[in-house]
Amino acid sequence: MIGTIANFESRSLLRSPQTWAIFAVIAAIFGYLFLQALENFLALQPKLALQDHPPGLSGFLSARFLATLSPLFSVLGPLFAMRSFSDEFRNQTLALWQSSPVSNTSIVLGKLLGILLPLALLALLAVAMPAVMGFIVDIDVATLLSSAIGLLLCATACAAIGVYFSSLTKQSMVAIIASLGVIALLWLLGSASFSHPVLQALQQFSIANHLGGFFQGYIQTRDVLYFVLLAGLFLALTIIRLDALRHSGIQ
Amino acid sequence: MPSNSNLLLQASALTRKMGDTAVVDNVSLSLRQGDILGLLGLNGAGKSTTLKMLAGVLTPDSGDISIAGYPLDDDPIKARQRIGFLPDQPPVYPEMTVAAYLRFCAKLRRVHNNDIPSRCLDVLEACELTAVAKKRIGKLSKGFQQRVGLAQALIHHPAVVLLDEPSNGLDPQQMQSMRDLIAKTAQTSCVVFSTHLLSEVTAVCNRIAVMHNGRVVHDQQTEDNIDTLQQLFNDLVQQHSGSQAA
Repeated sequence: MIGTIANFESRSLLRSPQTWAIFAVIAAIFGYLFLQALENFLALQPKLALQDHPPGLSGFLSARFLATLSPLFSVLGPLFAMRSFSDEFRNQTLALWQSSPVSNTSIVLGKLLGILLPLALLALLAVAMPAVMGFIVDIDVATLLSSAIGLLLCATACAAIGVYFSSLTKQSMVAIIASLGVIALLWLLGSASFSHPVLQALQQFSIANHLGGFFQGYIQTRDVLYFVLLAGLFLALTIIRLDALRHSGIQ
Repeated sequence: MPSNSNLLLQASALTRKMGDTAVVDNVSLSLRQGDILGLLGLNGAGKSTTLKMLAGVLTPDSGDISIAGYPLDDDPIKARQRIGFLPDQPPVYPEMTVAAYLRFCAKLRRVHNNDIPSRCLDVLEACELTAVAKKRIGKLSKGFQQRVGLAQALIHHPAVVLLDEPSNGLDPQQMQSMRDLIAKTAQTSCVVFSTHLLSEVTAVCNRIAVMHNGRVVHDQQTEDNIDTLQQLFNDLVQQHSGSQAA
């Protein structure tokens, strides 16, 4: 059943011209940033050669190209998720789901998986750009793979935040603004320097603190767990929200 | 395990409050195969809220519902698998074609994959939608969209069919087709539908329940004397007009 819902969600996303417009814009941004990073690598190559352990092309592109895409992916997640429930409220189609033999958990997981398809395609596109350099020079596939996993995990967690806010309102713009507010906060936690121990502890909840390793080619369990728990938290909140809707009857 | 297997729909003492006001107050219903119950009442009588509770869309504050013997609160998946529900606004996706939408609804209602094509064809024919099967729902008229909504409620051969004002947006000819379809559906299921038109219930139902202020104030078979019902309904209409004027 989760597969049926995921299929429905991804098809409705791919049917929308808005999705293809986002794809086009994002592909153009990817291309520009990739060429810029490549140019930087070529310009810095003489200096890098003087280092004891100079980064290879994959390491450089992971740090200077793929890592810079992570804020973009944290916007893309809620951008694709913003209509997941808002549209159901606006079209008055939620009754179809609520009267069907499907649990709220299946609905929420199905919708998230459906949103992940376009996000996975974009992550694939992002990684494909440095990967094609493999035809010319040796590249570190593991680093590119871990970068792709990092991007996808970040996008998944942010999409889950988007799904939750989408379940709160029929206005998809309100849903995305609220989602981006929370995501911005999660990013900013990492950039601030706090002196108070409690505030320092809050930095552990920052997205930035948990992404770095992926772009250096190593995947830590605590980082994966952070994104899984972040997504799980907002998915659980969405399930509670759907339950509450059945009780309150307000849509 | 299902209990009371001869009863397809059993609802006892359903109550639903909005704030301090009881929108549905102590409503009980029992329906068997072949029953067509018309919920008759003016706007705000509690018909739609009752249907939403029966469909599992809204949880009652108190009371129990069982569908074909499966309790809706304890075994919601099995119970909802046996419900076909058409809300007051047909729950359709304008960008989908009629055929694609019905295929999706069949999957959502757990119809076996092998049966989906034949079920789609059957329901398209029954709801007179074959000619528009490949058209986008958003391009169809209100009447056609209503029939698409009805088709999704029937595609899985539910034991209990719940229709909220199904004749909305239909022309007289389509209304007659709808009545025929409801009568045909009731051969294997029970049907509950809401309306505020007395003529509608007398034409198609074999049982009528009049709702007013959230309560069932009158319940009778259509073969019983219809004059009492007519008088009661006229009184309610006058009472409602009087309260609105005041």
